[in-house]
Amino acid sequence: MTPDVFLFWFLALLIVGSGLAVLLFTNPVYSALSLAMTMVGVAAIFITLNAYFIAGVQLIVYAGAVMVLFVMVIMLFDIKSEVQAFTSGKISGAMKLIAVGLLSGLIVGGIIMGQKSFVGELSKDAAAQVAEANSAKMKRAAGADAATKELGVALFTKHIFGFEALGVLLTAIAVGTVALARSRGGTHAK
Amino acid sequence: MPSSSFLTDISLNHYLILSSVLFVIGMAGVLLRRNVIVILMSLELMLNAVNISFIAFSKFTQNVDGQIMVFFVMTIAAAEAAVGLALAVAIFKRFKEVNIKFFEHLRG
Repeated sequence: MTPDVFLFWFLALLIVGSGLAVLLFTNPVYSALSLAMTMVGVAAIFITLNAYFIAGVQLIVYAGAVMVLFVMVIMLFDIKSEVQAFTSGKISGAMKLIAVGLLSGLIVGGIIMGQKSFVGELSKDAAAQVAEANSAKMKRAAGADAATKELGVALFTKHIFGFEALGVLLTAIAVGTVALARSRGGTHAK
Repeated sequence: MPSSSFLTDISLNHYLILSSVLFVIGMAGVLLRRNVIVILMSLELMLNAVNISFIAFSKFTQNVDGQIMVFFVMTIAAAEAAVGLALAVAIFKRFKEVNIKFFEHLRG
């Protein structure tokens, strides 16, 4: 067992375990801490996939900013643990669990069985073809610095419209969030 | 019983299975939990699961476009968390409660 393989299985267990902990803890503070652990695990998975810049952004944006937001709101609410954390009703709860199980079975089964389908071909033949087509581009982009440079060039040339649209969206979100936080009850105003 | 090559050869399928398992955990959280904040956390889990599959496809096809899509998804996720938590704070100020059972009618 090589270090790469061990790292993948370790991170996969960490991510799935702490992801389950998010929904099994009834104390929201523990849920938030488990979510932070999941985010760090996902960032490590990104590093094993050679996406160094995205891993850094994941750590800063999710494990930093978004988690601070969650923890601040939880402390603002001052809730220790909930009275009725999970959905009530045996039948509806069982139906939801069955739906979740069916979806997971379908997805995992589809991925494993689909060796001749899109996924299977992509992971073998098409992946080799596409990789060959892109190999000249990626040969220039060997190493972490060059890969990040490649990412920046693609972001600011090919995807510049999406980048600018995100700027507009973030401005709208910032203004909307402040307006929402300052509203005096909205439709429930007395 | 998985064969030994399943355990020792990490392929695209492994990352896709990890991604789908994490997505399903997030979906179970959204369906089963009743705390607004935990529901928002589960949404973040689902978005992260999608990010894993984007990065895995990006690596195994040697195409950088997947990483740019992840960049966009992260921005949208942060914005969504900000708006969702602002709504949760507004709801908590009005109802003094975070359990969705108590404000499912969305009226005063």
